[in-house]
Amino acid sequence: MKTTGNASASTSKTGGRLTGKDLINVGIFTAIYFVVVFAVACLGFIPILMAAICGIIPLIAGIPYMLFLTRARKFGMTTILGLLTGIIMFITGMGYFSIATGLVFGLIADLIWKSGSYASASRAILSHGVFSCWIIGNFLPFLITANTYLPTVRAQYGDAYVNELMTYLQPEMYPVLLVACFATGIIGGFIGRAILKKHFVRAGIA
Amino acid sequence: MVKETKTESPVLFMSEASFSYAGGHSGAGVEGISLSLGKGEVALLCGSSGCGKTTVTRLANGLAPHFYEGTETGTVRVCGLDVAHAELWETARFVGSVFQNPKTQFYNVDVRGEVAFGCENLGFEPADIERRVDASAKEFNLTPLIDESLFSLSGGQKQRVACASAAATSPALVVLDEPSSNLDFEAIAQLRMAISRWKATGTAVLVAEHRIHYLEGIADYVLYLDNGRLARRWTADEFARLDDAERIRLGLRARSVDDAFRNSGCCSVPAMPYAQKAALGENVVRLENLTAHCRKNGVLEKTLEIASLELPVGSITALVGACGAGKSTFAEAVCGLNRCDGTVTLEGARLGKRARRRKCFMVMQDASHQLFSESVLDEVVLGMEGPDRQQRGLDILCDLDLDLFAEDHPLSLSGGQRQRVAIAQALATNRALVVYDEPTSGLDLFHMQQVAEGICRVCERGITQVVITHDPEFALSCCTHVAVMDRGRITEAYPLEESGISRLASFFRSEYHAGEDDPSIRKTPYSRQKE
Amino acid sequence: MRLDPRTKMVMLFAVSTVLLLGGNGGAMFAVRTAMLLFPFGLLAISGRMHAAGLMLAAYLGSYALAAFAAPTLEGIANAITVATATVVSRFVPTLALAYFVFATTTVSEFMAAMGRMRIPDWIAIPLSVLFRFFPTLGQEARAINAAMRMRNITPISRGASYVENCLVPLMSCAVSIGEDLSAAALARGLGAPWPRTNTGSVGFALVDAVVIAVSLAATAALALSLAFPEAIAW
Repeated sequence: MKTTGNASASTSKTGGRLTGKDLINVGIFTAIYFVVVFAVACLGFIPILMAAICGIIPLIAGIPYMLFLTRARKFGMTTILGLLTGIIMFITGMGYFSIATGLVFGLIADLIWKSGSYASASRAILSHGVFSCWIIGNFLPFLITANTYLPTVRAQYGDAYVNELMTYLQPEMYPVLLVACFATGIIGGFIGRAILKKHFVRAGIA
Repeated sequence: MVKETKTESPVLFMSEASFSYAGGHSGAGVEGISLSLGKGEVALLCGSSGCGKTTVTRLANGLAPHFYEGTETGTVRVCGLDVAHAELWETARFVGSVFQNPKTQFYNVDVRGEVAFGCENLGFEPADIERRVDASAKEFNLTPLIDESLFSLSGGQKQRVACASAAATSPALVVLDEPSSNLDFEAIAQLRMAISRWKATGTAVLVAEHRIHYLEGIADYVLYLDNGRLARRWTADEFARLDDAERIRLGLRARSVDDAFRNSGCCSVPAMPYAQKAALGENVVRLENLTAHCRKNGVLEKTLEIASLELPVGSITALVGACGAGKSTFAEAVCGLNRCDGTVTLEGARLGKRARRRKCFMVMQDASHQLFSESVLDEVVLGMEGPDRQQRGLDILCDLDLDLFAEDHPLSLSGGQRQRVAIAQALATNRALVVYDEPTSGLDLFHMQQVAEGICRVCERGITQVVITHDPEFALSCCTHVAVMDRGRITEAYPLEESGISRLASFFRSEYHAGEDDPSIRKTPYSRQKE
Repeated sequence: MRLDPRTKMVMLFAVSTVLLLGGNGGAMFAVRTAMLLFPFGLLAISGRMHAAGLMLAAYLGSYALAAFAAPTLEGIANAITVATATVVSRFVPTLALAYFVFATTTVSEFMAAMGRMRIPDWIAIPLSVLFRFFPTLGQEARAINAAMRMRNITPISRGASYVENCLVPLMSCAVSIGEDLSAAALARGLGAPWPRTNTGSVGFALVDAVVIAVSLAATAALALSLAFPEAIAW
């Protein structure tokens, strides 16, 4: 007789190590997560929304994230999701800071999800709040490279635009952005749970 | 190599094998399956949907219980390896697998990588892999396609790649799970050749299948599953002698290509007598100058070119033709969904692209693409107007036998039920023309008849319908007309009366025989006609 | 023309760095422009002329908008135009490069490169799925979009539930495809503990050397201009 299934059984078999199935699952959800982030980020082409995407992405990204967590019942999967999201951000030209923020916040989100034995709804929502903080990585280039970047822009496009930009991207804005990511991440977590219950559980795929 | 061969031990051996899924969403469990398959033997697993034949294939390749979680009892051995306790990669040395949907089973983006994939995972020597890939590609006529992107191939070509990939590791057992579901007749004939080649080279083959006709003369055993149990087993001879009435009672599809045409009246749905449809009247839906373009390798190619086609109002037209002939493009163009030109004249009005999106409707091959709501009733009511829409929505659901599911989530339904929800949407929004994209792929006899029945009921409302299909049994059970498509053009269109049936039969036969020839040297009828 | 995946990584790094950090002065302007145009050239050479042309047009258009139209506008209109144009012209080149990387790398090449660099499976396998899965998601999204147009589901008619209407079918299709895909991959031995043989042809050819040299030169120029701003800024 051979039984598989239910986190406990498969964990005891593989000792909690990630199997090929888990890794492929992470890849698939990275793709879905990225597509959602990318679609929302395109709104960022409208400049007023540029800073606001910080707040909009987590609202919607909570939907794939919550479905992902129903499959992430081993330690490491959420960390890899964060790392991979950062890597794709790098490939699509958002700079390499997202790799670091993705890894760090992914790891913390993973630990939070683990602390709820991979089942607690409130930990899932908290985990999404933390995970969403990776988005700050997209804005770090402005902070770190402002000295070299802004004069170029100023020379090309004039003072009006640079001043506009700087009102958003003052160094003291970064903690605000971080809090915004976290707060909307929590709200996005609730939205994600709601959609999960409304659709995916009833459809039998959660 | 020194191997004990005193008693030829079976390649696949199952004894009292049972499996039940954890959670119960992934499929139907099986109980007490015993079978044994020797070298070069082919066993066909058949039975209605949900009888558990897919589960038997999963037991053989180890996906149950290693991928699909659940509880297994009994013994399953492949070449002496205890599949239930071995890891999947150990089983992969002995078993090659081909799955139902050509679109979802590949991992690579190019043909060469996909064929080599299994060998690479198993850690074969690079030179050895190269030799195997070349041999396998040659065997399955993939040499000209070897550097293509998998995304540019037709369903039949993808399924050939899947077979080549399974063959490249030279497994002792090949397991196929409904491999013909999405294939046209030509590709099915090629599948038949692949299986007979395996048989000839001593590979054991286990096939779970609904459309069993192409295994005539190849299958050594036919195993019939009912409700998770092996209810009947026949040798090839016994199965051939089986009474037709008995076959239909068991819900099995035609046993040979000829069977499909001989028994056209067998279905519980009375075949729409064409004569009765003579009352169709003079009104027609007219398609004019329907063209569509598609960009291939940077060059704009015409993929659809229909000067004029008339469909009698209220008729059901079977649109047949090889994979890649432009049938899906046709459906999209009729519904105004792709880059297309031309008009459709419906109820006296010439409709452009935008207007067609309101009057025409497509039931997609995968109906889950068109389900958006949280319950079946909401799905139907979405887009309806008027205060009594709930009631009208329920009436439509009753009409399509969906009333029991009104409160269920549409995505929790089976494929056939989802399709009927899509049909309900078309009825709810008063469409005059409905196009179906391969509605019966992967269905057993019973469910195929159910689709046919549904289409007949839509017909009673005077709606004109076009059904893209590769399935002669289905076409004969409900269609009134046939249109044949080749390379974006309608080459023939005729009513499906006496002479029409034999024309359709010869069309499918020629397609089937084309697949038996070497496709690389085959000339298509179109290229001949063009010169 | 085929580039080694590792060459592509070097190139990604260089283009990202140069475009992010910028650098000042005429010399760096030239370097930056060269790196901007690099991705379009690669796309064109790899046979994706149409995409290259479209993206280049988008880039030049937005650049021209910022340079010529913006000065004639004032106040908030100016800021919006310039900001939109900057963001578009900033990201189109890197998106072109990302498209090039994903479209021209096969899974076996990628796995081979990962193997050479001793990248562990837990990064290589999920990343390799992406090459296959992005195009698939695109196909699914197109089908769902067609169904939505047929039923007049638009952001205007549906409001906030539009997002739900898009995502639910997309995600459920993606999950079921993903399930089939991983079953098929695992049944063919993916994830075995022994070393995987990689037959994907990787290795550095002349063209790789050229691309790497250009990338390194651009990065070096940038580093110089940052270290000694006076020396290079003409």
